[in-house]
Amino acid sequence: MAEMEIEEFIEQNRHLATLVDTYRGISESEKHWKARREFLFRNINDFEDPHIDQLLALSMVWANNVFLGCRYSPDLLEKMKEMAEGIVVEDAPVFKTRDEIMKNQNLRSSAPMCFLKSMLVYGPGACSLSSKGNTAPCLPGMIQTSLLYY
Amino acid sequence: MGVPAFFRWLSRKYSTIVTHCTEERSKECNGVRIPVDTSKPNPNEVEFDNLYLDMNGIIHPCTHPEDKAAPKNEDEMMVAIFEYMDRLFNIVRPRRVLYMAIDGVAPRAKMNQQRSRRFRASKEGVELVEEKSRIREEILGRGGYLPPDEIKERFDSNCITPGTEFMDNLAKCLRYYIADRLSNDPGWRNITVILSDASVPGEGEHKIMDYIRRQRAQPHHDPNTHHCLCGADADLIMLGLATHEPNFTIIREEFKPNQPRPCAMCGQKGHEIKDCQGVAREKQGEHDEFADAMPASEQEFIFIRLCVLREYLERELTMASLPFPFDFERTVDDWVFMCFFVGNDFLPHLPSLEIREGAIDRLVGIYKDVVHKTGGYITENGFVKLESVELIMQAIGVAEDNIFKKRKEDDEGFKRRNKEKKKRMKAQQQGPSYLTSGQFAPQALGGRGRPEVVQNARHQAFDMRMQGRDQHNRAGTSDGQDGRGVKRKAEDSDSEPDPEDNVRLWEDGWKQRYYKTKFDVDATDDDFRKKVVMSYVEGLCWVLRYYYQGCASWKWYFPFHYAPFASDFKNIKGMFTDFELGTKPFKPLEQLMGVFPAASGNFLPETWRSLMSNPESSIIDFYPDDFAIDLNGKKYAWQGVALLPFVDERRLRAALAEVYPNLSPEENKRNSLGSDMLFVAKSHSICDFIQELYRGESHEGTEMPAELCHGIQGILNLDGDPILPDKPVESPIPMLRDIAQNSAIGVKYKDPQFGETFVFKAVILHGAKIPAKVLKPGDWERGNRGRGNWRPQLGFNSNRQQVHLDQSAFRALGHSINRQQQGGGQYSNAPPPGNYHQGNYSRPPHSGGGHFSHSRQQGLLGAPPPFNPNPVQQYPRQQYSSGGGHGWDRSMQSQGAAYQQNLQRGGHGGGQGQGGYHQQRGQDDRRGDRRDDRGGQPGYSSGRSYPLPPPARRYNWS
Repeated sequence: MAEMEIEEFIEQNRHLATLVDTYRGISESEKHWKARREFLFRNINDFEDPHIDQLLALSMVWANNVFLGCRYSPDLLEKMKEMAEGIVVEDAPVFKTRDEIMKNQNLRSSAPMCFLKSMLVYGPGACSLSSKGNTAPCLPGMIQTSLLYY
Repeated sequence: MGVPAFFRWLSRKYSTIVTHCTEERSKECNGVRIPVDTSKPNPNEVEFDNLYLDMNGIIHPCTHPEDKAAPKNEDEMMVAIFEYMDRLFNIVRPRRVLYMAIDGVAPRAKMNQQRSRRFRASKEGVELVEEKSRIREEILGRGGYLPPDEIKERFDSNCITPGTEFMDNLAKCLRYYIADRLSNDPGWRNITVILSDASVPGEGEHKIMDYIRRQRAQPHHDPNTHHCLCGADADLIMLGLATHEPNFTIIREEFKPNQPRPCAMCGQKGHEIKDCQGVAREKQGEHDEFADAMPASEQEFIFIRLCVLREYLERELTMASLPFPFDFERTVDDWVFMCFFVGNDFLPHLPSLEIREGAIDRLVGIYKDVVHKTGGYITENGFVKLESVELIMQAIGVAEDNIFKKRKEDDEGFKRRNKEKKKRMKAQQQGPSYLTSGQFAPQALGGRGRPEVVQNARHQAFDMRMQGRDQHNRAGTSDGQDGRGVKRKAEDSDSEPDPEDNVRLWEDGWKQRYYKTKFDVDATDDDFRKKVVMSYVEGLCWVLRYYYQGCASWKWYFPFHYAPFASDFKNIKGMFTDFELGTKPFKPLEQLMGVFPAASGNFLPETWRSLMSNPESSIIDFYPDDFAIDLNGKKYAWQGVALLPFVDERRLRAALAEVYPNLSPEENKRNSLGSDMLFVAKSHSICDFIQELYRGESHEGTEMPAELCHGIQGILNLDGDPILPDKPVESPIPMLRDIAQNSAIGVKYKDPQFGETFVFKAVILHGAKIPAKVLKPGDWERGNRGRGNWRPQLGFNSNRQQVHLDQSAFRALGHSINRQQQGGGQYSNAPPPGNYHQGNYSRPPHSGGGHFSHSRQQGLLGAPPPFNPNPVQQYPRQQYSSGGGHGWDRSMQSQGAAYQQNLQRGGHGGGQGQGGYHQQRGQDDRRGDRRDDRGGQPGYSSGRSYPLPPPARRYNWS
């Protein structure tokens, strides 16, 4: 969904949009919230009222994965991949998880924690395109920091 | 407080606040241990009224110790906890109240930290087990030997969280322990014991504070109660200051850095697990009976005297020419508040304030300015004046740029020095420390070319000297100079490169980069930045209120992982009004759901557990399998910031509402909020009153009659399953016996209640006597000797009796050691402890004489001029002195230590002193010829090992 489409969607579903806005967390920045809101809009029709919390949980799983570097079980991430299909996150942060740091410390080589300007497109077969032009294959929803050492 | 550096900084700057504890050891006679009678006067020459134990500081080291083998099962853990408490009780010997507080459910603000600790601990535990099994296989594969792996379940330290079965057991065991000691230990006969277990909400130390605060606010409180609080957290110092009680002491384990830890694999010291080679197959002792014995030195305890700290602070904070009268108590509160900027458990610290970089001194400087400018203090009774905070923040903000630059410089300088040092060390190891060069260079025998005639020898010598000096200065670079072609090792093969820092606070544009990297927002996003600042301001208000008034809101928390910059605090005046009233803490099991990772789910009922792992769960996002760690400029994973998602309270409660019906009655009981308990022995004056309550079966709360219990107030309620006199108490631990002759009684206890809007005053109470000054008066040096001699005070007693031998004792001593001794020696009264197993004793090379004009033994037992066979030996007593600047101090302190040692020696059979003496004589014989020349040296040495008799009138202090 492009920016335009979302605007349109909000226009058409005022009621839903106000409801969804109540789910914004206090610590969420505009950028993070916009992405998560899109995630909610895309999937809200599949989760009827008593299950709305489940959708919220899934949206947080996705957001935590993308913006905080959290890892969840492969099943869950697979599901995320489907649900987040087509959402574009510009300039997504890149993290090193604890497991990776520990592995590196054991190997006595430490790789930098880095931020790479990148644009991630979530969807089947999508690639992450770095703004500098070099491409690296990347599973959607799973940020492979091991590919980004320099 | 999560600032380990704080205590180090404080004790270095204000060294006299620390006093070593004198601990009386129990003696053994014919194999029977004779317990110490704690009803006797306190050997620390002070009497404490109340002892408060922050139990979590005891439970952790007793259940998973770092310096010795872990207890094998839960029973052993409990016994270890009991022993630890006995030790503390013996040192402190409270006369009125013993308050034990275990952490209960904490305010939401603490949850972030708890989550982060538990998620990490869980991962660390798994890693350790994996590494162990890997290395075990390796060692066994190489033919090494390891003791068979005992089938013992790994102790998951995460179970030390309210609501678990372990904590429930612990509460039961503690009741048993209290009943036992009240019934059997004479020192406990008249004290009131209050147990606040994990079922009572609140962090341990804050429950203690709440108790003190509420007692202070009621009219029967004795304003001169001497409090002693046990715990290692640095924030206990703040809490102690915040009470404004004049007599407040903290007791904690002495922290000794770089203690050898046993290898987790084989239990031997001296290597880490990754270098483990297995155990030697030697028997320890004739029948392997010492196999488990570990030569571990017990941790010593230290007192931190807050009244002395207050003196220091008074000196530092006093401001002259204020437009209003100076009030020291208010400035103490402000000082405590400013320390929160540097770090606390509830907020990340400001990036520009590092305690090691003198942040607190900087703050104090700024503070004085601000007080002058605004004409008032910045806090009152735990409420913050935000205008003043803004002024302080802005003043820090101005310096921020320079702070970051300087930090970078210092950091690089430090690294450079370290590198050079390493090189130097290496260079020194490689060959002789000095080689002659040029025409004096050593040449191989039978080599080509004969040595030439020496020319211009002086100049050559000069060159060599200069070269030597240069080499010394920039060691390492000399490797290639002598042309022997040593291949340069891969440089710094053992030093790891630093983690990359994208923020680079020392370069321009740091603010943008910080916000971009840490918060993923643009620096232009003012709204977001304002939100962070506002949360931080709320946080500062919450924390201060928490320390001075109790928990203002159980719900509030800081919803970010990082702090803003000081310069961002603009227009903060309107940012905070008040907290929501009437918030409730979580229930224990709810909080477990909030802080545990899925891997610790075994502590929860099954349906609850599945909420942590089922992909369909409506709170699955709280439980990531792995999470990012931002090293944030640090080197190791455990120092970094764990980027864990925050818990959404509404969704948590909603999800749990569905599984609540699945709780068993037992779990329901664990999940309920409990009550503090009060215990006394039959001999206590309030015992009859409580027994009467039980007889009357009154089910309403009853006020405690203040006159029966040293003015302590509170509300008593009957316990459902009470401990009553003459009702046997069953032991929950198989290895300990039941109490057949119980004389303890227990009853539910509740702190005195005040209205929700009641404000506890942060003032010295009427009638409180401020303890006598300890520090040397600032103007004493200026020669105002009319007031008499000033003497440094060591320990608690200002007229402490010095250790003293009378003339006859010296005659006896002189007779038994060496008659030829002559001459005066200033060290004669300063036995360096630990010296007797070393054999010889060297005087520190540059300590002057004159300090010892006070020593009255001078000339009686004369020590000879220094005789020094081994000049580099360290002066052993240094480790005992807590840093008084003068030689005089030290000597007195070590005297105390020697006394302590003598006591210990007595405890261990009294043979050691004698043994040391013999050893000494052996030494003498070996250097007999020298003795003839120097006369007296041997006697001097053996004089150290002669136990000083305990002084008479030891306990006569006022």
